[in-house]
Amino acid sequence: MQYHLQVKGQALIATLQGELDLHTSPKFKEELVRLFEAHATITHLIIDVKGLSFVDSSGLGVILGRYRELQERGGRLFFVQANPQIKRILQMSGFQKISEFANSTSDVLERI
Amino acid sequence: MISTNWIKLEIPSDTRNVAFARTAVALFASQLDWTLDELEDIKVAVSEAVSNSVIHGYGLQEGLIKIAVSYTGPELSIVIEDFGRGIADIEQAQEVGFTSIPEERMGLGFTFMHEYMDEVRVSSQVDTGTTVTMIKRVRALES
Repeated sequence: MQYHLQVKGQALIATLQGELDLHTSPKFKEELVRLFEAHATITHLIIDVKGLSFVDSSGLGVILGRYRELQERGGRLFFVQANPQIKRILQMSGFQKISEFANSTSDVLERI
Repeated sequence: MISTNWIKLEIPSDTRNVAFARTAVALFASQLDWTLDELEDIKVAVSEAVSNSVIHGYGLQEGLIKIAVSYTGPELSIVIEDFGRGIADIEQAQEVGFTSIPEERMGLGFTFMHEYMDEVRVSSQVDTGTTVTMIKRVRALES
């Protein structure tokens, strides 16, 4: 699992590559928490999941935890380039009610 | 002739082995004629069951997880067994959103197993262990 994190204005952009599960999610969570604490200006979380080949409830739990933080900051959660399998598990977990799907990060940056 | 085959795996309760378990089971299961989406479903279900054993069964401590996978004709059976803490209330544990670690977990592990597999059976005894049996059948292709 590899990820790239970038703070751009009010958005934190996370680009994921590989598998997000019980083993890989703690490090990802740690990094997200660190950035949220370091940048009080982060309001929105944009997760590019094009390269995400697998996610289960352990990985989704980390994202849900950050969503709670976003709610407190009045921000929004976006998933970019979700393939049908990832979209399905996100929908089954209820993420379609609390997040938005987009085709590209630049689309989201224009929207927020 | 009925087509049948099986594998058995024993792995230590270690977060690194969750990916190994789901990949190994999916690789074996691929001997049957699944769609790619169905193989992904199997991977998610195995990942959830093994993760439960690692987190809840053994509390991230040392332990043994046994995985038996077999098929007879189009029916795949996956049995994941641990010898950990067990589950006091099996029905409650399978409720959507129920988790014993609310700050960390979504409580969707069993929900995903039920959604992605045709049958899920759980047997458990406190301080003895938990066995999750999951069945998935290959759908006949529509002509």
